[in-house]
Amino acid sequence: MANIELDGLKFHYRQSGAGPDVVLVHAFTSNMAVWLFTDIVEKLAADFRVTMYDLRGHGNSARPESGYNSAVMAGDLKKLHQALELEPALLVGHSYGGTISMHAAVLYPEIVRGVILSDSYFPGLAEIEPNMLHADVWADVRRVLAEADAHIGESVNFTELFHAVAGLRPEQMEIIKQELGAPGARWLAQLGQLSETRSGDEMFEVAGLTAEKIASVGQPVFAFYDEHSPFMATCRYLEEHLSRCTVERVPGAKHVAILQNSPVFVEMVQRRLREMAGLT
Amino acid sequence: MNRTYDDVLADLAQMLANFEGKEYSGEIGAQTQFFGELGYASIDAVVLSEKLEEFYGQKFPFHEFIADLRERDVDDIEVGRLAEFLHRHLS
Repeated sequence: MANIELDGLKFHYRQSGAGPDVVLVHAFTSNMAVWLFTDIVEKLAADFRVTMYDLRGHGNSARPESGYNSAVMAGDLKKLHQALELEPALLVGHSYGGTISMHAAVLYPEIVRGVILSDSYFPGLAEIEPNMLHADVWADVRRVLAEADAHIGESVNFTELFHAVAGLRPEQMEIIKQELGAPGARWLAQLGQLSETRSGDEMFEVAGLTAEKIASVGQPVFAFYDEHSPFMATCRYLEEHLSRCTVERVPGAKHVAILQNSPVFVEMVQRRLREMAGLT
Repeated sequence: MNRTYDDVLADLAQMLANFEGKEYSGEIGAQTQFFGELGYASIDAVVLSEKLEEFYGQKFPFHEFIADLRERDVDDIEVGRLAEFLHRHLS
């Protein structure tokens, strides 16, 4: 098991394969299991050295009280990149992992060769993105909690969610287990730990990644947006404003393409990474 | 490492009884479920896979194990199934 200390915080990471560097960056409230529960790592490791890690506050990494905006978390990525002595890397970021990856491309262009985004939302584009606060995935979580007589508002508010989950009683968790299945219920239960942090608010900070900064990214960007993505305004902005952005749609997915249409998503990622690395 | 299925099951039961700071006082057998009964989460499965590779001194194709679960539409990990998988791949 590999852990590394970066500025006094433990980060859990894992590496496979050899070749040009690829870093997989998971979403807010997720962890590196999202990659390992599919065959993406094995597929990519045939051509690349694949590094994945648990973001601060997530998985088996340290959970400090603060430091969850995309600027700080891009800094974590930069420190990890440096500590592991990686070459300039191709980043694959799911949701908030894509936001962090794009922020790293802005702040530390010397370590980022290119970016693949999967259904990412950017606080800096909030004004053009009407759907974030009422995303379907939030409605799903809200419905499940309501079944267990736990209540959160109609608009996305992670801090509220984390506190609601932290307060769930065992009998409420049993009801949630029936709704989500055991792994889903365990995922939700873990979110209660984030109530000890300011992550729910900080992840919505623009933190310098403004619309103009996003548009300034000069590295190649492949923006994979799901067929039923709540973030199509963001997708259109990226396509229209970035100099080297290619948009692709992932059929059948609605925000978590890596799990909702894994074979297609993995093939798309593999193809575009090989293209960016000059392997085709 | 020459270990029978029962040896591997016993290894797993011992490992999971006190894992990542969580203790499980009940009996852990082939039918025990990783998420539903032991109360572990996805990241614990990742850490367990790393510990198993350390313990047995070899890599395992865990993605094949997960793919098999998905194919059978099973959303929990039975300890016995995992023991079978490990036993099959132990070199």
